[in-house]
Amino acid sequence: MTSTPDDVLVVDHLVRRFGDFTAVDDVSFRIAPGETYGLLGPNGAGKTTAISVIAGLLKADGGSVTIAGETMRPDAVSVKRHIGLVPQDLALYPDLSARENLVFFAKLYGLRGKELASRVDEVLETIGLADRAKDLSKEYSGGMKRRLNIGVGLLHRPTLLILDEPTVGVDPQSRNSILEAVEALSGEGMAVLYTTHYMEEAERLCDRIGIIDTGQLRAEGTRDELIRLTGGTDTIRLGGRVDTTGQEEAARSMRTLHGVERVDADRHSLSLTVHDAPTLVAEVVRMAAEAGMKLTDVEISRPDLESVFLHVTGKALRD
Amino acid sequence: MRSVVTIALNELKRYMRDRSNIFFVLIFPLLLVMLIGIQFGEGATTGRAAVVGDDSDLRSVISEELGDQEVDVSHGEWDAALEQLARGRLDVAVRVTAEAAAAHDEGREVEVEMVTGSSFAAPIVEQNVRSALSTLGAQRAQEQALIDKGVDRDRAVAALERARAEVQAPRLEVTSVDAEAQEFEGLGQFDFGAAGQLLLFVFLTTLTGASTLIQSRRERVVQRMMTTPMTGAQLIAGQTLGRWVLGAFQGAYIMVASSLLFSVSWGHVPTALVVLAVFALVGAGAAMLLGTLVDNEGAAVGIGVGLGLTLGALGGSMFPLEFFPDTMRRVANVTPHAWGYEAFAELQRRDATLVDVLPQIGVLGAMALVLVTLGAWSLRRSLQRAM
Repeated sequence: MTSTPDDVLVVDHLVRRFGDFTAVDDVSFRIAPGETYGLLGPNGAGKTTAISVIAGLLKADGGSVTIAGETMRPDAVSVKRHIGLVPQDLALYPDLSARENLVFFAKLYGLRGKELASRVDEVLETIGLADRAKDLSKEYSGGMKRRLNIGVGLLHRPTLLILDEPTVGVDPQSRNSILEAVEALSGEGMAVLYTTHYMEEAERLCDRIGIIDTGQLRAEGTRDELIRLTGGTDTIRLGGRVDTTGQEEAARSMRTLHGVERVDADRHSLSLTVHDAPTLVAEVVRMAAEAGMKLTDVEISRPDLESVFLHVTGKALRD
Repeated sequence: MRSVVTIALNELKRYMRDRSNIFFVLIFPLLLVMLIGIQFGEGATTGRAAVVGDDSDLRSVISEELGDQEVDVSHGEWDAALEQLARGRLDVAVRVTAEAAAAHDEGREVEVEMVTGSSFAAPIVEQNVRSALSTLGAQRAQEQALIDKGVDRDRAVAALERARAEVQAPRLEVTSVDAEAQEFEGLGQFDFGAAGQLLLFVFLTTLTGASTLIQSRRERVVQRMMTTPMTGAQLIAGQTLGRWVLGAFQGAYIMVASSLLFSVSWGHVPTALVVLAVFALVGAGAAMLLGTLVDNEGAAVGIGVGLGLTLGALGGSMFPLEFFPDTMRRVANVTPHAWGYEAFAELQRRDATLVDVLPQIGVLGAMALVLVTLGAWSLRRSLQRAM
C-alpha cells in the first residue's frame, strides 16, 4: 500500500481479534481527500468491526489507523473531530425530535451558539427534514430515520465520513436520496468510507473498492482494475436483420479492430468478445451499419463486482 | 465538562418529557407529604369538643378557655353532638343548659354536664374542660371577693382582666420521660413526612432513571457518543450526572415546595442540601449499576420501584425509625435512607449543622463512591460488550 501525506485515512496492517476469532486480519488501505472508498463484502465479513476500530470504538490488536495525520485510539479525543460516523443501526433518541437529536450531538462535537443553530438548519435542509424538524424521531418512516442518522454524522463537517451500510432496510426512494446525498458530499471534497454488501451501490458511489471477506482485504482498486483481475472480457451483442454477405463483411472488419478478440455470427445477431466495450461500441455500430445491418438492439455485457467477488473469494457475494 | 453537562441535561429533558414522570416527580410526593402530615400531625390540636347550649356568657367563657388550650371547639345540638361522639368525631361533649347559664349570670353555683368519648385524646380534653371550669370558678371567686370589698361588679371585672394581662403566669417546662416523644420534639406537623418522602422519592426517581440509560444503550446512542470528541470518563460522568440531576432536582423541589406549602422546616438549609446531594449521588450510582446490568427497561423500572420501596420502608421513609425494634434498627443502617433519615432528623429536630451530621454524610458518601465506581465499571464493560 502506498500512502501520501495528504491521505485522510491510512489503515495499516489492522488486526482485531475476539478471543480466538480474528475479525479483521491484516487489513490495509487508504483514502485520499474527496475520494469515496467502498468496503464491499457479505454480512460477517468484518466490515463493521473494521469501521469500529477506525472510528475509535474498538482497540486494534495490531496495526494502526491514522486519520488526518493523527493516530486513532479509543481514548483519543482530538482525532475524533475529523470523523463522522453513521452506524449501521439507527443511533438516535426516539423520544427527541430531529432538531433536538442534531442539537444534542452538535454540542458533543463542540458546536455552540449561532454556529450550532445555523449548522443544524443546514443539515436539516441537506437531509430533507427541515419541515419535520420538530417531530419526534420515533414518528418518522424508516427512510427518514436513516437520513437523520446520516445527518448526525455531518454536523461538524468531518474530514472523513464513515457510513456503515446506510441503506439497509430502506425503501428505493429513500435509498436513492441517500446515495445522492453521499455523491454530493463526495463532490464537496469529503472523504467517504462506505461499507455495503450491495454491489450496485459500490459501483455507483465508489472511486475505489476494497473487497473484504473473512476479515481479509482480498483485493482493491478502481472498478476497472478489479474487473481486470478476473481476466474477463466484455461482450457486445448486435441484433437485427442482415444478409449473409453483409454479416460476414461486418464481422471481418470488426475483427481488425484493436481490442476485439472474437466475433461470432448467427442469423439474427453478431456477438463480439472485446476488451473495454464502452470505447469500442460506437465504432462497432458504425461498421455494422456500413455493412447494411438494420440494428434493432445493442447490448453490452461486462463482468461486474459479483464476478470479481466470485473470482477472488471463490464464492458469491450474497452467499 | 461541557459534554458532561450536555449529556446530563439531555437525560433530564428526556425523563421529564414523559408526563407520567412529571406527576411522580412533582405532584405525588407532595400529596403524600400532605397525607402523612394530616395523619401523624393531627396532634396540632389537643382534641375536639362540642360546647352545646344557647348562646350565653357561660358557653362563651368555656369555649374560649378550651380554645386557649388548643381544643377544637364546635357548637350545635346535643343529640348531634352525642352522635358525633359515638362516631369518634368528637372527644368530649359539654352541655350548658339555660339554668346553668342563668346561674352563671347571677353568680350562683353552676352545674354543666359532660360526656366523654373513648378516643385517645378524650381524657386530655376532659381534663381541659375541668381546667376551664376550675379557672372559671377561680375568676368568679376573685370577682366576688372584690365585690364583697365594695368594688362594683364592672370595675371588679375590668380590674381583674387588667391584672391577668399584666401578671406573667409561671412558666412550666415539661420533659417527657418517653424516649420516642423526646425524639419527635421540635418536629412540625409535616416535617417527618416531608423528609421521609424526599428520601423515598429521590431514590425511586434516580433508580427508575436507569430506564433512560438502558434505552440509550439499546438505541446505541451511547456507543455513538464514543465517536464524538469525548473520553470514556466524560461519557460515564455525564450519564452519572444525568441520574444525579434527576434526584437532586426532585429533592430540591420537595424541599422548596414543602417549605412554602406546609411550612416544613429543613433546619440548616445548606447542610440539608449537602445531605440531599450526597444521597442523590447514592441513587445515581445505584441507577448506573441497574441501567447497565439489566437490558430491559420494564424490568429495570420494576426492580427500581421494588428496591426503592423496600429500602425506603427499611430505612424509615414510611414509618419512623424510632419505632423500629433494635435489630431492625441495626438492619436499617444498611440502607442509605436510614442515614439520610438520621441526618434530616438532626437538622429538623435539633438544629444541627454540617459538623453534627458529618458521620451520616460520610457514610452516604462512601456508599455513593462504591456504587458510582461499580456503575462506571459496569457501563464501560457494557460498552465493550456491545461493540
